[in-house]
Amino acid sequence: MPHLRFHKRLLPSLALASVLCSAWLPLVGQTTNAPPSDDTVIYDLLLKNGHVIDLKNNRNGRLDIAIIGEKIHKVGKGLPSSRAKKTVDVSEYYVTPGLIDLHTHLDQYGAWLNLNPDHTTLRYGVTTAVDAGSTGHLGFEKFKEETIDKAGVRLLAFLNIVGAGMYGKDVENDVDQMDVAAAVAMVRKHPDSLVGLKTAHYQPTDWEAIDRAVEAAEKSNSVLMVDFHPKPGRGYRELILEHMKPGNIHTHFYGRLTPQLDENKKVQDYMWKARERGILFDVGHGSGSFWFRIAVPAIKQGFLPDTISTDIHKNSIMLPRAHLNNVMSKFLNIGLTFEQIIERTTVNPAKAIRRTDLGTLDEGSPADIAVLKIDRGKFAFLDSGHGKLTGDKRIRCAMTIRKGEIVWDEEGISMPEWSTAGPYSNFR
Amino acid sequence: MHSLNPSTRASFATLAVLVAGWGLHLLAPCAAAQQYDLLIKNGHVMDRANEIDTVMDIAVSGETIAKVARDIPEDQAKKTIDAGELYVTPGLIDIHAHVFGYGGSLWPDDTHMLTGTTTVVDCGGSGWRTFETFKETVIDRSKTRVLAFINVVGAGMVGTESDIDDMDAEKLAAKIKQYPGLIVGIKCAHYGRRDWYNLEQAVKAGNIAGVPMIVDNSILTNNDRDTQTKLLEYFRPGDIHTHMFNDRHLEIVNRFTGKVQPYMYEAREKGRLLDLGHGNGSFVWPAATKALEQGFYPDTISTDLHNSSIFSTKSDMPNCISKMLVLGMSLEEAIFRSTARPAQVINKFPELGTLGEGKAADIAVFELEEGIFSYSDAWKKKRLGDKRLRAVLTVRAGELVFDEKGLGFPEWDTAGDYQKIP
Repeated sequence: MPHLRFHKRLLPSLALASVLCSAWLPLVGQTTNAPPSDDTVIYDLLLKNGHVIDLKNNRNGRLDIAIIGEKIHKVGKGLPSSRAKKTVDVSEYYVTPGLIDLHTHLDQYGAWLNLNPDHTTLRYGVTTAVDAGSTGHLGFEKFKEETIDKAGVRLLAFLNIVGAGMYGKDVENDVDQMDVAAAVAMVRKHPDSLVGLKTAHYQPTDWEAIDRAVEAAEKSNSVLMVDFHPKPGRGYRELILEHMKPGNIHTHFYGRLTPQLDENKKVQDYMWKARERGILFDVGHGSGSFWFRIAVPAIKQGFLPDTISTDIHKNSIMLPRAHLNNVMSKFLNIGLTFEQIIERTTVNPAKAIRRTDLGTLDEGSPADIAVLKIDRGKFAFLDSGHGKLTGDKRIRCAMTIRKGEIVWDEEGISMPEWSTAGPYSNFR
Repeated sequence: MHSLNPSTRASFATLAVLVAGWGLHLLAPCAAAQQYDLLIKNGHVMDRANEIDTVMDIAVSGETIAKVARDIPEDQAKKTIDAGELYVTPGLIDIHAHVFGYGGSLWPDDTHMLTGTTTVVDCGGSGWRTFETFKETVIDRSKTRVLAFINVVGAGMVGTESDIDDMDAEKLAAKIKQYPGLIVGIKCAHYGRRDWYNLEQAVKAGNIAGVPMIVDNSILTNNDRDTQTKLLEYFRPGDIHTHMFNDRHLEIVNRFTGKVQPYMYEAREKGRLLDLGHGNGSFVWPAATKALEQGFYPDTISTDLHNSSIFSTKSDMPNCISKMLVLGMSLEEAIFRSTARPAQVINKFPELGTLGEGKAADIAVFELEEGIFSYSDAWKKKRLGDKRLRAVLTVRAGELVFDEKGLGFPEWDTAGDYQKIP
């Protein structure tokens, strides 16, 4: 009962309010009704009149969102500004749950390719990022202590089945590094941070890395994300139809390494079969894994990604500009609807990592919110080979709220105008 | 058509070679003609160092600028970028940023190269005891040209900036002389003692090594030390006062008359330099507005970019320049104070901040957007402006590293079965 816990915390200072709150606890779950007139709760922040897209709760229209402390207090029509300490008019924008980037590399003090976690996420409306195996059981706790515990963004992680983590082929091809028991123990030890396992970059022709990662995920009852390099005798079809388990995620699936299309650009039958048996397909754009000549025909045939993610790192951030807003924009210009894209960056990744408390605007859930805009104009998007798609739409994050705090406000919509905002503390 | 796709280009070359082989030497220059690796055409070039402020073409060969002229033919280049309606400037130089040592340091490439800034001077993150670590982990590994103001404190900017036992002018000077291509001066900041010891040590080391110092505006630590004394008695010509619009102590602008203080003019006459150093807390609209209204400009526009300021004030280089535009500075003037002027200030790098032929091919391309844009200051108060400078393309040492508009690349559906297009 998150609501109840919240009110208990406020009791010392807001005893009266708390009593009144408990009176309308039964209203939780109703999303569009205005609160009763005797409600004297004060909102810390009110987002007024935005186009809310909250697919888990079937919300898709003009609604207000009231925030108290770190949590979403209420979502509904006509929530009064008179009750809010601060109101932001978001009528020009879409308001969605804070986005989830399922594939990132943010162990900033670890291997070279990693990036700063906040700078890479919060300005793009991403409030939850999942690091995709930058560390294994040997390095994860250092990563957690130095970065995860200090980051502004909610940082989760897939644990690399390779103990040393993503530190090059010498360790990543070494099966002695793949200690199932140690990985399982680490996932169990940090259930709040570790959502599952990752295997990547494995070059030998056997199935050791895959099978051990599958085993570790099963034993720790967690999710597996697979980056796959097919080899003679170790094919993609076998991977997704036989070796991977339902709920496992194949990332980089629009990449060039795996044969998802036949010679006529038709989506292979085994892709559909794998989807039917519950294999999830994640974008993981990166600097090598997103090609228009693969993605466009696949999407035209209806083979959409389950989750849209970036694989953001020091290379993919540069020419391909693979931050999440840009990757989303590529799909928007290819023809996905905005709702389909929001679904694949909120509820779908939340479901994939079994964290359905995320990617939603549930009342009582953490106030992690993205305020987005679709710009119209002429925009260009490069794929991993630097081929260009010229489009007329771009998704841009105008404001990000994380745990109730406005951490990004590109257009100053929450700020007062300087000349009328009253005295500066030491300048009159 | 911005550029030929590789296969078309290859067939042209093949054709030309074949034709030349038949003895029609007239056509041979076609094959040899792609003498430039990159050509940026039709952009409005702003390059004060060469007194250019008009539409010009820029040709790059390898890592250097080969030619700046009107109407350089497209067929002389392997890749051509049409910068029509865009501004082309030398890669910007940010003399105050944090990319090492300090807890809020950022990686230089994704913060600076993506904003048209090809040279970053880390402002005191490293000291003489940590400079090599800085060099190995950041300077040698980033694509951005990273230089350093080295901290007067041996440990660098890690919270011990008042530790006078860790200030050793001899060792500091020795380290600067050891890396003349990387260390451009000395940083003094966050000093909490009631004396001028840190500045005295920095001046001593600076005199031995022949470099300037850059000093904060007593941020956090206003202990009997005022800016007037600092600038007029302790600074040498060429020393830099950063955070000039911080103004927590109401120094730059007289709060009663609204006029820039006479001693600031005196300091400027005596060769003291004033740097923006925007950061989280060092830019407030009232101070900056009054100063710029009176034509009192920063010598150098810099960001003091770190993990907080990149969110709160969003003060990357184009943001700082845009704020100057909002306050009435011309674009050409602002670019000068972000390129040639900082190159002069850090003194020994004549190849930077200019698009002169033979100089480093560090180039930025900007769009001057029109619309309504919000700019926020240290107190999270906004000012709306009708212009915004936005970086769209960056070339570093001849390499195209950032291209938001895809100006240098072909459409995917006509480019064939491409691999990585360079």
